[in-house]
Amino acid sequence: MRWSRIAPQLALTPALAVTAVAFVGSIGWTAYLSLTRSRRLPEYEIDWSEWGRQYDRLFRDAGWEISLRNLVVLGLGSALAIVFGFVLAALIDKEKRGESLFRTVFLYPLAVSLIVTGAAWRWILNPGLGAQSFLRGLGWDVDFNWLAQGDTAMYAIILASVWQSAGFYMALMLAGLKGINSEIWSAAKLDGVPMWRVYLEIIIPMMKFTFITCAILLSLGVIKAYDVVVAMTNGGPGQSTWVPAYFTINALSAKSNLGYASAAAVMMLAITFVIFIPLVALTAWQQRKRETV
Amino acid sequence: MSQFSVSERAAASGVMSQTRAPYFVRKKKGITPRTIAILVFLSICALFFCVPLYVVVVTSFKTMDQIREGAIFSLPTIWTLEAWDHAWNHACSGIKCDGLKVGFWNSIFILFPSLILSISLAMVTGFALALWNVRWAGAFLFLLFICAFVPFQIIMYPLIVMTTTTKIYGTLWAVAVIHAVLAMPVLTLIFRNYYKDIPTEIMSAAMMDSGSFWRIFFEIIVPMSGNILIVVLILQITSIWNDYLIGVTFGGLTGQPMTVNLANLITISTGTTNYAHNMAAALLTAIPPLVVYFLVGKLFVQGVTAGAIKG
Repeated sequence: MRWSRIAPQLALTPALAVTAVAFVGSIGWTAYLSLTRSRRLPEYEIDWSEWGRQYDRLFRDAGWEISLRNLVVLGLGSALAIVFGFVLAALIDKEKRGESLFRTVFLYPLAVSLIVTGAAWRWILNPGLGAQSFLRGLGWDVDFNWLAQGDTAMYAIILASVWQSAGFYMALMLAGLKGINSEIWSAAKLDGVPMWRVYLEIIIPMMKFTFITCAILLSLGVIKAYDVVVAMTNGGPGQSTWVPAYFTINALSAKSNLGYASAAAVMMLAITFVIFIPLVALTAWQQRKRETV
Repeated sequence: MSQFSVSERAAASGVMSQTRAPYFVRKKKGITPRTIAILVFLSICALFFCVPLYVVVVTSFKTMDQIREGAIFSLPTIWTLEAWDHAWNHACSGIKCDGLKVGFWNSIFILFPSLILSISLAMVTGFALALWNVRWAGAFLFLLFICAFVPFQIIMYPLIVMTTTTKIYGTLWAVAVIHAVLAMPVLTLIFRNYYKDIPTEIMSAAMMDSGSFWRIFFEIIVPMSGNILIVVLILQITSIWNDYLIGVTFGGLTGQPMTVNLANLITISTGTTNYAHNMAAALLTAIPPLVVYFLVGKLFVQGVTAGAIKG
């Protein structure tokens, strides 16, 4: 057979070039800049006696510390979307009535931009004219002026993120639940095993791959979280809703500190890899499992 | 251990359950209290999911006078299209006040070149990697897999420099090209996974027939790609339209997509905020992807799960 060698390799050149320049080269470039003293304009001289000065400053920066803490808060808070998604999927799967209607409703937030989501929730959470004043008008003394206070503003961002993504996790969970043999339920019921135990002891362990996938996707999404912060609080009040993605872009655009922004970006990459490695291990493990079956 | 014993017994008794007909008949048809409880709970959740959409829609038709009364959930007393008109024609983004129509057309002109670029590049690459014996294909795929996860911030500055030196920074082309570049790894993996299941017999027969890479691509592969193309199209349309970060980074002042205009509008801190205008603007931005969503329904799930790693 005439397996042409040249044509496919030629066809791969654009992709190779993009990977080499836009990804590999650019990562190297940014990593290099993080070792320099670059401010507004790049400087390519590294002072090896204090090559880590940008990182030193970064770890002592209160803003970075807030960003990291918010990253964890946002991660834990958004994990509610997985729990919520699982509960919704389990109920929809149990009660087949209205499945497609409920699925459509729960998933539509995913289709709109996070800027739109932020705009909507920002308006609902408006203390003077939004849901708070409405509920107070009904005589309920509620207080969710979350956006104006530093210690609660993250809750507002979590609320918007959960609203946006719960449907997505529901869809993943629903797919996982569909793969489970339906006889388990009737059998468990026959044995008089209560429903919550069936879920806790059989269904959830059987779906651990789905859960782990969701957790990894969630963590990757949390690191990238930027749009929702801009739309909801724009980092404020003060620095209270900064996240690493916001910190990095702020350092580059508002502070024009290239070296510093690069160091923060490198740290973001490091965090991504910490999450990424289990994913690779998991994929490999899943593949081996499939091959042995 | 306990989970095993339960599931084993469950599996064992599953066979037996066929003999107990009455139990099954009752369970299948009747509306039990539990059914009602589940449906009520799901409906309440559905209501919660609909609240923001409802609020945005009714607010966009209200007059500012009514909004100031503070009844966010009430229907408009006077239905008016003033806010829609203002958002489309006069809303301010930065110093210009030409409305969201500017951003809308920008988004359209970003969307189409970007779709063509990203999908054609990924299709060809995926095809070459899946069906031609390229020696370093495995290593390259792994590299692409890693690239799919890289946070944008780490390649942001170099890409700004590259677009500036090629003089496209601040134009729609910069935004479109960067979208295509950033989507390349994920889309290539999607196409490659789809093409690798094409039977080798088809490829061998095609090879005998002509053997040319491009002829096989255009005459066999492209016509076979219908399903995956729709999924990828949905994924790309929604993610390009909804993107904010790339648009705000590379669009400069003249190449801003609609989401950037909207963000400028809602985060503005001077003067009094007109919420009717903001909500009409938000709705205008949300309509195109929502139309796609309600048209394609189930395929949308496939699209977003396929691109899930894109985040």
